[in-house]
Amino acid sequence: MSDELKPDQLLDKIDHTPSCGNWMDTPVHIRPGMYCYAAKAESVETLGLPNARPWNPTDDDWKLPENWKEIIHNAIKERLERFRTFKVFMDICVRCGACADKCHFFLGTGDPKNMPVLRAELLRSVYRNDFTKAAQILKMIPGGEKLSGGRPMTLDVLKEWWYYFFQCTECRRCSVFCPYGIDTAEITIMAREIFNLLGLNIDWIATPISNCYKTGNHLGIQPHAFKEMIEFFTDDIEEITGVNVEPQFNKKGADILFITPSGDVFADPGTYTCQGYLILFKYLKDKYGLDVTWSTYASEGGNFGFFTSHETMKRLNAKMYAEARRLGVKWILGGECGHMWRVIHQYMDTMNGPADFLEEPVNPITGTKFENAKSTKMVHITEFTADLIKHGKLELDKSRNANRIMTYHDSCNTSRGMGLLDEPRYVLQHVCDNFFEMPPNTIREQTFCCGSGSGLNAGENMELRMAGGLPRANAVKYVHEKFGVNTLGTICAIDRAALSTLMEYWVPGVTVSGIHELVGNALILPGEKERETDLRCDPLPGMEEEEDE
Amino acid sequence: MDINQQLELKKEEILKKWFESAINSYPEDTAKFLKKSKNQFDNPVGSATLQSLENTFRDILEMKISKNYKYSQDIVEQNKIENALDPIIRIRAVQNFSASEAVAFVFELKNIVKSTIGKLNDQNSLEEFRGSSSNSVISSYELFEHKVDLVALAAFNRFMKCRENIFLLKATEAKRRIHSAFERAGLVTELNENELVGSSKS
Repeated sequence: MSDELKPDQLLDKIDHTPSCGNWMDTPVHIRPGMYCYAAKAESVETLGLPNARPWNPTDDDWKLPENWKEIIHNAIKERLERFRTFKVFMDICVRCGACADKCHFFLGTGDPKNMPVLRAELLRSVYRNDFTKAAQILKMIPGGEKLSGGRPMTLDVLKEWWYYFFQCTECRRCSVFCPYGIDTAEITIMAREIFNLLGLNIDWIATPISNCYKTGNHLGIQPHAFKEMIEFFTDDIEEITGVNVEPQFNKKGADILFITPSGDVFADPGTYTCQGYLILFKYLKDKYGLDVTWSTYASEGGNFGFFTSHETMKRLNAKMYAEARRLGVKWILGGECGHMWRVIHQYMDTMNGPADFLEEPVNPITGTKFENAKSTKMVHITEFTADLIKHGKLELDKSRNANRIMTYHDSCNTSRGMGLLDEPRYVLQHVCDNFFEMPPNTIREQTFCCGSGSGLNAGENMELRMAGGLPRANAVKYVHEKFGVNTLGTICAIDRAALSTLMEYWVPGVTVSGIHELVGNALILPGEKERETDLRCDPLPGMEEEEDE
Repeated sequence: MDINQQLELKKEEILKKWFESAINSYPEDTAKFLKKSKNQFDNPVGSATLQSLENTFRDILEMKISKNYKYSQDIVEQNKIENALDPIIRIRAVQNFSASEAVAFVFELKNIVKSTIGKLNDQNSLEEFRGSSSNSVISSYELFEHKVDLVALAAFNRFMKCRENIFLLKATEAKRRIHSAFERAGLVTELNENELVGSSKS
């Protein structure tokens, strides 16, 4: 024990230099490039949410309701009673710091308030001040307020909340490392609910929801335009394959209703994934008589309501099931999306379930029962396709994707939110020869977020997105340089849009592709002509020279 | 011993100090973490910063300078340095730094070298070391300072390129995502870029 320090030696080791300041005393600076524009008044109005008015986050006056402090206090109180998780998460954090360096926003921005523990502390400090006995007793002693780690709600605190809770993508990577299992995403969800009670949503979330509420999808596309767009893809596919894939819309009595995020129909490069779905459905119709219908009403799988409040999420989710009931299908097949699946997997059943008017999903071609979807009646398309491949039901020509050197990005919501880890990889490896994983601490449950999820994929916050996406891009850069990876596969519509831009900044030379785009390339349609190009109209491997001639 | 040999000799110490000074530009709690974790995937900023500084320092040692020390004539060297600086500047260009804060770490190298190599020369003092040059035009220390100035110019160039890149991404993202899909579907009728180029030819 001789190497044990004596008390005075121990005291000598204490650093008496004052630190550069307590986080509570560091005021918030709302920096352009890091925040999203305020919600438009008309979008807030459409949804019947309170305090619709024009406002600007950089203005001193946020035009809050007079009793805003009371609204916040009551909102926290109500949620502590309603959500056991929220109450527990407010109390049990021991500030061990295990989560501190696990957040992509902290790693990328270097801002300590983006450490999940500190971001949560922004809210916890007010909770302690307002709701714990200890804080109320300590407050009576001079200087006791600080001892409890509490602070009163002020306008600066609210602005700090707003700035940092919109620098969290609710990806839940931090919760994987928390020894108590605290889900910081839930704390962000509560904070954002509170913002909506004060009219403090961002426009990139509020307007898509309002559109979705009015026309059925985030982009506000009306049914006829939705149909026209898919018919346009049909022409494109016919040009490439010589086959008319004949999509069906709003067909009553079809076997399956297919719902995908509207980004797949309207935003590149998701549009190529959409063409992949169309090719797959045509193949299954011709070979096995499977009857799949699209809906021009339930034309959105995504659910930005999830980033607003539980009630808004419920309202948007309900329309998918209403449409399934109206059309009388057996079950729902869902496209490649991220948060749509977290909503289905973790919330749908208690929100709008049970969907007992639908059948328990069984793949009619293979007989496989999708046990995990027993109650929600909604199956993820990579599970469905993986099952078809496993049973040898698809004829695939991998060589058409021979120019793709692939890696795979696990979307936060499908990996951590529903455990969908191996099916997309299984599909990829059957449609493509060259596949390389990124390092283990950046994939599967530990995957790094794209930095643009949970409604943060706007343009005005580009610096935030690029900084938040750095840990992901850094791992892609590694496999790009080591193995020559040129394509990043993913199964999320936000990812397809956000990662494309992220790659342009950090790893030029890597394109982003949905998994079913590659399925569409490889799948051999009955009666197809010899294909010369892939779905992007680029020459197929081996066809480049003919193209030049 | 000329300055390059001295820099080579003290390379590790100089790099360590340079890395620390760059990292100390972050808030204290962040700096602690950035210095600690060695895994390049768990700590992308710390490891990219270190790597980038190492490569830049290597390039400074290998740098060939024009005979008349004109900044404008050392473009080739500047381009090389820009590539070495890219990872650190690309990161700092999207973080909470002003332009000057983002590139200030380059100038820190002068003080670090002065204090480190000055010690080597303590018998003759730094002043003498500065004067003890075999170069007839400028002293070897001044030559080193000239090189650091070139690094600073390269850092400024790269910072501007990264910022322009960010604004370009902002400007084109929406167009690329939505507009091109609409354009292919014939839902919008504006002339596309190819048509405009074509009409100017005819």
